[in-house]
This record gives sequence, structure tokens and C-alpha cells, in this order.
Amino acid sequence: MNKQLEVSNLSFRYSDTKQKAIADINFTVDEGEFFCIIGQNESGKSTLCSALVGLVPFYFTGKMKGDVVVLGENTRKSSVATLASKIGFVFQNPFNQLSYTTVSVAEELAYGLGNLGIEREEMHRRVERIAGLMRVDHLLNKSPLELSGGQVQRVAIGSAFIMQPKILVLDECTTQLDPLGSEEVFDVVKALNGEGITVIMADHDMERVARCADHILVLDGGKQVAVGTPAEIFSDPSIRQHSIEPPDFVTIGRRLREEGLYSGDITLTEEAAITAAKGALVR
Amino acid sequence: MLMAKKKTSSYIPMDSPIDRLHPMVKIYAIFCLGISALVCPTFILSYVLVIFLFIVAWKAKLFKKFAKFIIGFAIPITVMLLFIHGLYSPKNVTYIANFGFARLGLEGTMYAIKLVGGLLVFLGSFLLMTTTTHPGKLVTALIESGMNPKVGYLVLASLNIVPQMQRRMIIIKEAQMARGVEVEGKLLTRATAFIPLIGPLVMSSLVDVQERGMTLETRGFGAKGVKTTSYIEVVERPVDRLIKRLLVVFLAITVVASILARLIR
Amino acid sequence: MSVTKKRGFLYNIQAQFHTKALVLIPIAVGINLVGGTLASTLKLPLFLDMIGTIVSAALAGPWVAALVGFLTNVFLALVANPVYLPYSLVSIAVGLTTGFMVRAGLFKRWWGVAITWIAAVFVSVVFSSTITVLVFGGATGATGTSVLTATLIAAGNKLVKSVVASSFIENLIDRAIAFAIAYVLLKRIPKRFVSQYALAGLGEADDEED
Repeated sequence: MNKQLEVSNLSFRYSDTKQKAIADINFTVDEGEFFCIIGQNESGKSTLCSALVGLVPFYFTGKMKGDVVVLGENTRKSSVATLASKIGFVFQNPFNQLSYTTVSVAEELAYGLGNLGIEREEMHRRVERIAGLMRVDHLLNKSPLELSGGQVQRVAIGSAFIMQPKILVLDECTTQLDPLGSEEVFDVVKALNGEGITVIMADHDMERVARCADHILVLDGGKQVAVGTPAEIFSDPSIRQHSIEPPDFVTIGRRLREEGLYSGDITLTEEAAITAAKGALVR
Repeated sequence: MLMAKKKTSSYIPMDSPIDRLHPMVKIYAIFCLGISALVCPTFILSYVLVIFLFIVAWKAKLFKKFAKFIIGFAIPITVMLLFIHGLYSPKNVTYIANFGFARLGLEGTMYAIKLVGGLLVFLGSFLLMTTTTHPGKLVTALIESGMNPKVGYLVLASLNIVPQMQRRMIIIKEAQMARGVEVEGKLLTRATAFIPLIGPLVMSSLVDVQERGMTLETRGFGAKGVKTTSYIEVVERPVDRLIKRLLVVFLAITVVASILARLIR
Repeated sequence: MSVTKKRGFLYNIQAQFHTKALVLIPIAVGINLVGGTLASTLKLPLFLDMIGTIVSAALAGPWVAALVGFLTNVFLALVANPVYLPYSLVSIAVGLTTGFMVRAGLFKRWWGVAITWIAAVFVSVVFSSTITVLVFGGATGATGTSVLTATLIAAGNKLVKSVVASSFIENLIDRAIAFAIAYVLLKRIPKRFVSQYALAGLGEADDEED
């Protein structure tokens, strides 16, 4: 599989702080993967996400060690603006992801394209396509300031994705949304991944992570604790030391196995847990 | 401090020929008309231009609002200036009226009238520009004429951010009042309420600053060596070019005529 | 600080307008305007419309603060009264003064802040009076200051003196409180945040070994 992102020995310490925010991070992400980053608050997830898109070291000042190579380009030798067409970034607070310079959702979606000097006709073409993908076509003429959190977040994803990156980094992008908004946004993310876009998502919803991730990276205190498939990560009991609680479905399967009622694979999803439970009932 | 209005921008969307004028035409108008008014030795030109602006306002379907401003601004300041200069200007030599406690001098009065005239032209045309021009189009036009896009960002973001912050202020106020902060009563009470209200606003705003900067950067803002394009289209029509030229010619004539007039005196 | 001087004056002005600083500007303008509205809502006899300027001067330097001041007045001119437009010189001057004094390290102690306050008042009075006299001929309308000025003139004082006196009283108290509030708020901002700004002007990453 094609390696799209390579992180080697990455560390970063913000200016005037004593402790490194992230230390010795190493992992790779393949093309089309759904890669999740998990860890409790202040474990360095956001710093890592910022480093993937170049905000570290170009926006946040501090000391960076190690390298991040995105689609063959080392971030140190690039710039955030250049990287934006390779790797897009969406983070937690939807309302801080508007440019506050536009009067319509259509214009807001096209904002990044204006910055890159794309000509107007191409802008209109891409806006139409993206609006459909993000399911905001009925909102195109509305002011971005009138939208709900979930809608703004989809516009944010749209304005990142319209720049045609191959990778999307999403830092807790549904945490501040209500359940409906959260679901709408996640559906869009899944759809994009389905179209072949590599997704790197920091999240704390373990059920979602267990269900969708191809690989998971676990962070604790800025350090990389584990990286592997969901089965590998969630079947290892030691992750609970890092304040990661496996999803309930996994726990159900594990408890059934402990009682001798189930001997199958780790139950990462609702369906698997139900199957295991049914099997246990039959015995 | 006249902050009673909660409008964010003064743009009033009207379907009028003035609205449809290219934004740069209106910028030209402010400068050409304003400078002409100042340069001309007699105050008559200023007031003729003010009448012209009234006609423009009428064409822009904003007559009432414009009139309100002119009267609202002109009357108090004229009174004040007449008072200060008409009665007390050291340049006063000839006197045209006597009020008992002071005499109204001609030179001072003329000075006051001329000054008010110039101010009315400048500020009146500025007002007409802002009420008939969509901010996004204005900024796009300015950027096309060579203004730095970062300046464009500043103008638009400032216009948009304020209503949002005012809303947040209301939320903070309600939260703090629920925790016992008093906003009515003696002066000292009200004064001490200021910090618990402005404090959270400033703190939360600073977090926003950091994150909004991240957004701009990851949307390619400030990319080096790139000429930015705009989703909004602003077209310069032949009539726009014509009016621009007329304005410049008008200014040139006024300047030349003024210089000649002063030389002849 | 010596690195800054080596790179040249213009470079450093430009470097101050890093995206981080640019985004600060409209928000600082908002703080100015909301502060002003709040003061009038609470019916306080003050303006308190410069807190954003002072905070941005401390975080991002004199030129950013100058721009914050200017834009605040432009906004007021657009929305409230075009009279504010020429007075942007006052806001610009206060921003520059505060910014340079913060850079000189004056904000590290409260008495340094007091010195900055006095400097700001002085600058405000000078510029404000000049504009009132030159641009507006002595008054801007029926405002309290203008009436005070008119009264003083009627009592026999010269135009310039009267304008200056009214301006001085108005500014002295207002700026004192603004600086006090800004200082209190600045002390509360986490150091990690402030450091992100302090280095924005230098454009160099922290090079200490760890």
C-alpha cells in the first residue's frame, strides 16, 4: 500500500514551556486508510495534528525535532499554505473555522481557493460539487454566521476539502456538536473516506474508533504508547492504564470470553457483540 | 459614545443606480469632491456639492437617511463653530451683529461656514459610499486595484466580528448576573461590574485568536507569490469609467481655477 | 532583542503582521468596541474603548496596536458617527506609544504601566486637541467636551488652551482605568499563550537545547 504520511522521531516543545508536548512519535499512514489517534485530554493529540499539517513549526513557535513527510514532502521545507492542497485540517470548534470575511456559504467554501489564486469558474465548479458532498447545497446562499454548529463544521470540512488534499486531519471534529450534528459530520467523513480520501482522526468516541479505524495510535502524556489495529489495541488490557476505556462492545465480548461463553475474535462492533451474546445464550 | 446602534456595517441594500456603481467610482468621488471643496477659495462650491450629494442620495433611495445625517451633524457643529469662531475668533475685524455678551464677527463666521461646508462634502460622500456599497465588493474592488489582501481581511473581519462579540457579551452578562454581579445601582457598583464582564470576553477572545489564525493558515492565507482571486465578481462598466474620468477632470479644473483665483487676488 | 535590530526596520514591521497578529486585530477592535458599549450600558462616565488596543500592544507590538486603534475609529465612523474618522490619529498614537513602551519592558512592573498611562494621556491630549482645532475648528458637535470647550472660550480663554484642557480631563481618568484593567487581564493570560506572540515578530524558532 502507498505510504502517504510518515512521521519519524517527532517531538515538539512549545516556547517557554518545560515539558515536551509530544515526544518520539513514529508511525506511517497508508493511502485510503482511516487512521485514529486516541488519548486522554492533554495527551498531545492536538499538537500532533498541528504537526501533520505544518502548523508546527510554522505557526506555533517552539522546538521541533524529527520529521513529518506528507506525500513525499517534508513539512519543514514547505509551508502551511503549500501543504493545504495536500493535507487538510479540521478541528474542534466549528465557529473558529470560518474566515469571517464572507457573506455566503458558497463564498466561504471557496475561500481557500481565492487564497491559492484559483480562477473564478473553477471555484464555482468546485463549490457546487463540494456543497453536494457536504450536504450543504440548500445553504449556499445563507450567511455562514447563521448556521448551526454541525452545519458550520461541514462547511469547514468542505472549505478544507475543496483545496483537493489527499489526506484530511480531523482533530476532535465532533466533540463540540450535539448528537445530530455529530452524526451528520461523521457521515460526511465516512463518505469521503469511502471515496479514497485518507482520514486521520483524533477522537474520543471509542465505539466509532473501534468500528471504523484501520489503525489506531495511542498517546499518553505526549508519548506514543501503542500503534496497531483496533483488535490489537483494544485486546491489550494495559491500555486502561493510559485512561483509555475500550468500547462497551469489546468489554462484553471479553467478559463473555472470561466466563467461557465465547471463544471468537475480539468484538469490535455492536453486531459482533450481539452475535457473541446470542452464541452464549444458545449454550 | 454613540454606540446605541447595533448595526454591523452601514450598508443598506437598495436596488439603485448608485448601488450598482463600481466601488472605486465612489472612492474617487470622496477624494475628488472632498479635495475640490477644500481647495476652492469660496465656500459656495462646498454647498453646491452638498446639494449634489443630496441629489445622489435621492437617486440612491436614501434621501431620508442622508438628510437625517446632514442635519444631525451639520446643525450642532455649525452652532458650535459659529459660537467659537464667529464670536471669539481673533481674526474678527468686521462685526455684523451684536448679541450683548459678544459680537458676531464676519471673518470668524466665514471661516466656520467654509469649514462646515468642506466637512459636509467629505463626510457626506463617505456616508453615501458606505451605505451604497457592499463591503465584500468594496474590498474585492480595492484588492483588484492593488490593495494588500491582508488589509482586505482586516476590514471584513472587523465588520463581522463585532456583532458576534456583542452577542457573546450578552451571554457573559447573563451568566455573571446569575452569579451575583450587579449591573445597576450606585456608580461604584456599576463600575466594579466592568471587570467580571470584560474579563471573560477578553480571555475567550484570545483563544479564538489562536484558532482562527490556524484556520486562515490551513486555508492557504498569505501564500507567497500568489495573486489572490475572488469568488465575488465586481465588474467595471463603461459608465463607471466615464464617471471616474469626469470626477478627475472636475478636480483638476477646480484646482487650476483655485490657484488662478488666488493669484489674481 | 539584538537580532531584531539587525534585520532592519521595515522587515520588523512586516514581521509583526504574521497571521497570528493579523487575526488578533479584528478581535482587539471588537474588544475596544464592546468595552465602549459596555461602559455606556453600565452608564459609566467613561469611554473605556482602548482596552483592546492596549492588550494588543502588549501582545503583538506597536504597529499592530496602531492598526487596532485605527480600525476601531474607522468602524465607529462607519456605524456611529463619521466624526470619529480623523480622531483615529489619537488611537494610532496611543497604540504606538503603548507598544513601544511595552517593548522597552515597562509592563513588567505596575509603575511602568503608570508611566505608560501618563505617556498615553499626553499623546492623546496632544493629538486629540490638534485634530479638534485643525480639522473641526474647535468643536465636534454638542458633545460634553465641546460644550466644556465652548464654556472655557466664553470665559475668556484662547481656543487652543480650552480644547486642550477639556481633552486632558477627559483622557486622564479614562486611560487610567483602561490601563489598569488591561494590566490585570494581561497578568491572567497564560504564559504559554503570550510566548507564542512575543516571538512572532522575530520569526525565529526557539533555539535552546533541551
